[in-house]
Amino acid sequence: MAMDLSSKISRDLIERIKEISGQNANLCMQCGTCSASCTGREVMDFPPRQVMRMIQLGNTKALNLKSIWVCSTCLICTARCPRGIDIARLMEALRVINLRQGREVLVAEKIPLELLTEVPQMALTSGFRKLSA
Amino acid sequence: MRIPYFPGCTLHSKAKGLDDSTRGSLAALGIELTELPQWTCCGTVFPLAQDNYIGMVAAARILANAAKEEGGKLVTVCSFCYHVLKRVNYVIKNNLEARKKLNDYLEENYAGEIEPVHPLQICKENVGLDAIRDKATRNLKGLKVACYYGCMLVRPASEMNFDDPENPTIMEELVSAIGAEVVEYSYKTTCCGSYQILYDNDLVMQKVEEILNSATAKGAEAIITSCPLCQFNLDWSQEKILQKNAGFQKIPVLYFTQLLGLALELPQESLGLDQHYVDPRPLLVGA
Repeated sequence: MAMDLSSKISRDLIERIKEISGQNANLCMQCGTCSASCTGREVMDFPPRQVMRMIQLGNTKALNLKSIWVCSTCLICTARCPRGIDIARLMEALRVINLRQGREVLVAEKIPLELLTEVPQMALTSGFRKLSA
Repeated sequence: MRIPYFPGCTLHSKAKGLDDSTRGSLAALGIELTELPQWTCCGTVFPLAQDNYIGMVAAARILANAAKEEGGKLVTVCSFCYHVLKRVNYVIKNNLEARKKLNDYLEENYAGEIEPVHPLQICKENVGLDAIRDKATRNLKGLKVACYYGCMLVRPASEMNFDDPENPTIMEELVSAIGAEVVEYSYKTTCCGSYQILYDNDLVMQKVEEILNSATAKGAEAIITSCPLCQFNLDWSQEKILQKNAGFQKIPVLYFTQLLGLALELPQESLGLDQHYVDPRPLLVGA
């Protein structure tokens, strides 16, 4: 996962994430508490610890991970991070950069009808807010 | 005692049982909830991007409107509403720039005076568990209940300031007070997968199975929660899990207020017990 930190694209990404999240990902010491606690870890492509490392390195692949969409913002990573990093905000930053470019994963037409008619309203509002542009 | 009440988007329709049982059981305990004269959806999720002020406007407006009512408090029972109102209030109180921006937008002058409170806190702090014990005349002795908090009620602890974030006990205290038996299990603050039900069904099925198995393995006969989305995910998914895993044991998932209402002998038809996928009535009302 080595990256050239001097590359402008990486530096821009690091800066952008910092600005949106207000978090310093460099505090992460890769202990893995977030990954061990994560709700979605088993269906993620990379667990939160590795996403943190990608952010530290300005690895633009972080923007294309399934993990950032699988995060249910349950805040367990944030609650348990021994370095006090609000990891959920970093995940949100990655989503937000995508969403503001029009990339989304939750498409209304793809929600099965049996679910759409049964699910509580709050699920639709929260789902679209987090996963749709 | 009268307290302003914010039902939230789901409580007048899909979670009507939560609305009715909350109003009914608190009224039986001497607390009258008066619905805000005007309100909108709170936005359901607290925006985690620092520059997303618009995501806080709806909640700020609800809080500013509540400040025009008497009492200084706003009751809300849905975990998502409680989470959003509490965190937006925290931001308005502590972040002067955000306070100014939100007030400019709303043409209000709200500084975070309202205290958003949850009915669990009202039960414990305003009514008192001893008073509830006295008023709970219906015997629930022997009913084994697992309390499920999920994520939004307890985290982040610094802002929610609700209970111990890793091992909250306020719901268990209430269950004990109404005479049922508390079942301790490991997954009470594990997220159920939340809105991922719309995007990644597998994630929710997997979490729900873990949570329910953990509770039933300890002998739970019913699960209680305060969140309409947790209730839906935990309840609706069971039939699907059963189709994949024949050994899966179904369990009714209720709102804590429905159990409280039963203990207070509210009319059964007022509690919405017929609105669940796994019917709790055979267990609870001996039908």
